Amino acid sequence: MVRDMTEDPFETIVATHHAEIHRYLVRATSRSGDADDLSQETFVRAYKAYQALPADANVRAWLFAIATNLSRNHFRAEGRRRHAMATAALGVSERSPSWPEGEAIANQASARIDRLVAALPFKQRAAFTMRKVHDLDYDAIGKSLECSAESARAHVFQALRKIRRGLDDLDVVHTER
Amino acid sequence: MNSGIPTCREVERDLVAVAASEARPAAAHGVERHVAVCRSCRDELQRYRVLEGMVSDLRRAPVPGADPTLARAELESRLADIRSRMVTYGIFPSPLGKILIARSELGISMVRYIESEGAGRSHLARLAGDNVVEDEAAIEPVYRELLDYLNARATRLNWPLDLRWARSEFQRRVLSVTAELPYGAVASYGGIARRIGAPGSVRAVAQALRHNPLPIVIPCHRVIGSAGDLTGYAGSKIGLKERLLSLEGVPVGHRAAKIERRHMYVWIAPDKEYCVPSCGALSEMPLAQLTLFGSRRHAEAVGLSPCTSCRPDLHPLSA
Repeated sequence: MVRDMTEDPFETIVATHHAEIHRYLVRATSRSGDADDLSQETFVRAYKAYQALPADANVRAWLFAIATNLSRNHFRAEGRRRHAMATAALGVSERSPSWPEGEAIANQASARIDRLVAALPFKQRAAFTMRKVHDLDYDAIGKSLECSAESARAHVFQALRKIRRGLDDLDVVHTER
Repeated sequence: MNSGIPTCREVERDLVAVAASEARPAAAHGVERHVAVCRSCRDELQRYRVLEGMVSDLRRAPVPGADPTLARAELESRLADIRSRMVTYGIFPSPLGKILIARSELGISMVRYIESEGAGRSHLARLAGDNVVEDEAAIEPVYRELLDYLNARATRLNWPLDLRWARSEFQRRVLSVTAELPYGAVASYGGIARRIGAPGSVRAVAQALRHNPLPIVIPCHRVIGSAGDLTGYAGSKIGLKERLLSLEGVPVGHRAAKIERRHMYVWIAPDKEYCVPSCGALSEMPLAQLTLFGSRRHAEAVGLSPCTSCRPDLHPLSA
């Protein structure tokens, strides 16, 4: 008898990875509405290409690469990034109604970092998020950004340096300039 | 210049790497020696360490506005939609030549004799656009069963079928009725027309079977002309029709590509018995009212018993 026609290993992939890819895309695009669309698009593309994927492929890294590609194209609408940078410079989040301001200090610091991350150029923002939030290795990040592992490392470094400077006025990091 | 101690500029990147605990030993050593003598870089390293701690909190902190529930639900429905349009196929060699087998999530949707792989693919592309994936491994089990069938190791193909490429409701009815013809039996186009309640539609039935998307599985090779002639099959592949019928023990007159009623056992549905062709007035009846079996074995395999007046069990036809 022919095996069950409805069995689909891709369902497991969606169940395992969708929430994380969505979370990544919220940061990569700095807008949750875009993340909704792009996370769907990521998995629709993955579904179509899935049959051709080698059995030993790293599915998670592959999904990050698709998501990164989609959000980079998405972000070529340059104006949006400028807008994000402007709001970050003002210290005002465009998402302020849902921002958990006034909660724990740790959350405030996270929120502050998130705003600085949102103001980074795309490659730095994506590299930083993949490395520091999602723990991907530099090889995988390089593949996502179509650059070498060394360049991926450099993007993360640049991101950290900018975030570090952006936090200069925050109490937790003393400045002595 | 301090001998061997790297400068502030040289250690800048390594400071970050050390804070993240991912510096190579040599770099870590350089940073260690540098910060021992450089107050500002020591402070800078400390700041990066604090930052690393804050950054690692990002993994636990909620992402504002990031609820994937709705996106996930929409994704599931988009995938379900794509899945329902998606067709997987493989192309295989067979005793009857190259065969393309395609299936959807509902069942087998196409079996096709093809002249070339390119012709098979473009036919599929015309029907399904780009919702087509070649996956031999996924189709392989189906192909194995088909091979068993074509090598007379099996008499049934118990596949769920997907008639998405039937061209009309009429064709769907024709195909469904044809699918019920037993192994080793034949009926006429007129017989199929009668069974779908459209006895005048003999030509339309022939057309519907000519475009059968599932030959072999839906046994249009078991449907013949009213005089017993094989008429046509899959375009001009009447030789294949003959081979499939011979495989099922139906005697085909080789010179005329014709089935002789006098060599066939006769069944009138829904009787429970089968007869020799000379029983009663059978030889006078039009083929459209009959189903013919090439062998007693296949008649009895579908639960029929020998007629108690003509006794085909005592007077078998010599094949």
